[in-house]
Amino acid sequence: MSLPSLPSAPLGDLRGSAARWRRRHLLDRAMRWGLPLALLVVLFPLFDMIYWIAVRALPTFTWATLTTDQVGLGGGLYAMIVGSFTLLALATGFAAAVGIAAGMYTAEYAPPSIARWARVAGNLLAGIPAIVLGYFGYYALVLYTHWGYTTLAGGITLGVFMVPFVYRTADLAFANVPSEQREAALAMGARPGQYLVRVALPIALPAILSGVFLAMAIGLGETAPLLYTAGWSSTPVAGLFQPTSFLTGAIWNFYDYPSTEGSFQALAFQAAFLLLILVIGLNVVVQAVAERYRRRTRGMMA
Amino acid sequence: MDEPISPGDRPAMGRSPGISEPAPPAAPSAPVRAPSLRRWLASPLALAPLILLGLVVAVLAIASEGQYFGLSFWGPVWEFIPTDPAGSTYGIALFALGTAITAGIALILASGLSLAIAIALTTYLPPRTGRILTTLTDLLAGIPSVVYGIWGFVVLAPYFASTVEPNLRNALGWLPGFGGPESAIGGGTGLLLGIFILTLMVIPLTTAVMRESLRSVPRDVVEAGLALGATPWEVVRRVRLRVARRGLWGAVFLGFGRAIGESVALAMVLGNTIQYPPSIYGGSYTIASFIFTQLDSAFFYPELLRALVEFALVILLITIAFNLLGQRAVSGVRTRTVPGAGGRA
Repeated sequence: MSLPSLPSAPLGDLRGSAARWRRRHLLDRAMRWGLPLALLVVLFPLFDMIYWIAVRALPTFTWATLTTDQVGLGGGLYAMIVGSFTLLALATGFAAAVGIAAGMYTAEYAPPSIARWARVAGNLLAGIPAIVLGYFGYYALVLYTHWGYTTLAGGITLGVFMVPFVYRTADLAFANVPSEQREAALAMGARPGQYLVRVALPIALPAILSGVFLAMAIGLGETAPLLYTAGWSSTPVAGLFQPTSFLTGAIWNFYDYPSTEGSFQALAFQAAFLLLILVIGLNVVVQAVAERYRRRTRGMMA
Repeated sequence: MDEPISPGDRPAMGRSPGISEPAPPAAPSAPVRAPSLRRWLASPLALAPLILLGLVVAVLAIASEGQYFGLSFWGPVWEFIPTDPAGSTYGIALFALGTAITAGIALILASGLSLAIAIALTTYLPPRTGRILTTLTDLLAGIPSVVYGIWGFVVLAPYFASTVEPNLRNALGWLPGFGGPESAIGGGTGLLLGIFILTLMVIPLTTAVMRESLRSVPRDVVEAGLALGATPWEVVRRVRLRVARRGLWGAVFLGFGRAIGESVALAMVLGNTIQYPPSIYGGSYTIASFIFTQLDSAFFYPELLRALVEFALVILLITIAFNLLGQRAVSGVRTRTVPGAGGRA
């Protein structure tokens, strides 16, 4: 971004009659009150959505919803909750291992040209449509390996989806470690490896963790990478090479059942409600961790 | 160990408030010199994102075998005959049209709203209110697509069918695409609802990028404008928007990349009809939502599977192109709160 694109007198002629002055300030006032209305246009649907999902889910939402299997048209979400968290654990393991390592090397070791490419690729990876990634997992991990639908395939596909979100925050976190810290450590005779583990990692850790939580919040809400890799199962996950159900899949599978017929649609709304709570909760954790990180590094960076 | 020693006061890293170019956010002054062997080992790890990206493209390219990238693939006819999958016609144009209409209109609406929100947040609203509202709009980004979908299908669709669409037809019926016979209005699912949902889903991303672009306009110039007697609005229009122009366009590109990749929510609210939609109320498909709904039946037809892989390749390459454009435009702009600066689908 550069400034010289401004014409020589960008503001035009600011002199003029009192009437013109009034007109200009009237326009400003209209904008002051008019533009924030756009926020209402956006936030009203958000609250409407949360309200309606709560209204549809809460009347039938009990403790049993969380602890029983799906039976026939009714039952609970136990299998999907276990499945979602199993998939999330696998995916987080994959994404954290690859993302943090790659972020650390990009920020600390890689020559600038390689680092630039890696960052561009990381952003592009974050932009891949989820369904395309789902197709990738379906072809590479379900058909090509002859595994069929498995929890492992779902976990890996979801992990690939989550990698860039961890990677970007890890890269930024390591790059933001003040250079004085690095110079001091190296001047004291620390080897680069010691510097990374003992100095850089502790400083960068809160930011990295907030990236991991963020990736988890995003991964938890994904459907497209999982539907054709993890498959579906109405009983809790039985093993890495067995298919599994998951919360977002419950919504996709049950959303268009008539609400009068049994409680399939109620099950979908309960899953949606639970997802909303989990995702909002994770986002709150992310904010809290990020805030802590800001406070902790304020002495060093500002 | 936990509390690192503070080296004392010094100017903030990576944040240069001056008129000069903002420093790139993530460039350490000098990388640690590692032994060369370890540096070589490090490169593949640093390149993990590039390797993963290449892997996805390669797997799709291999899976497609380039079989259907012929004239009929780009053609307007989709005719899948289950008994003769090899002789069927797999044309992408119909679905590409659905993608273009939904993503295009949603993006125009989202860009306008986002610009208004970004200006309000950076210029007019008090910082504390702004922070709360920013948290709320960012929350919109975190809501899963399926949740948008079920809300759209169960709550909004009946309302669209009973109230929104008849009124729109009465008011704007003279406009091509908005009229048609009364029977044109079905159960509420269709292009209109799809565009509405997609707009909501794109807004957090475009808003975040536009907000940070406007925020990164150096304060000196803004204050110089105000000191000359310009109103805040004049400063926004003549200075802020011009200085931040590239970042704003970047937001639009990134938003488009996001919009064409959305599959789940649209598969739930778009009416899923293989047709050239007669009006804005008609059902449609996008490339992404079509792949999403067809994959399980494609399991039985290798030809269908390959055609769909090619669909996936097409949207993959388009999203990569738009994200590259967007990234180039927003380079130098920090987007802190919503990490989807590269788009998220």
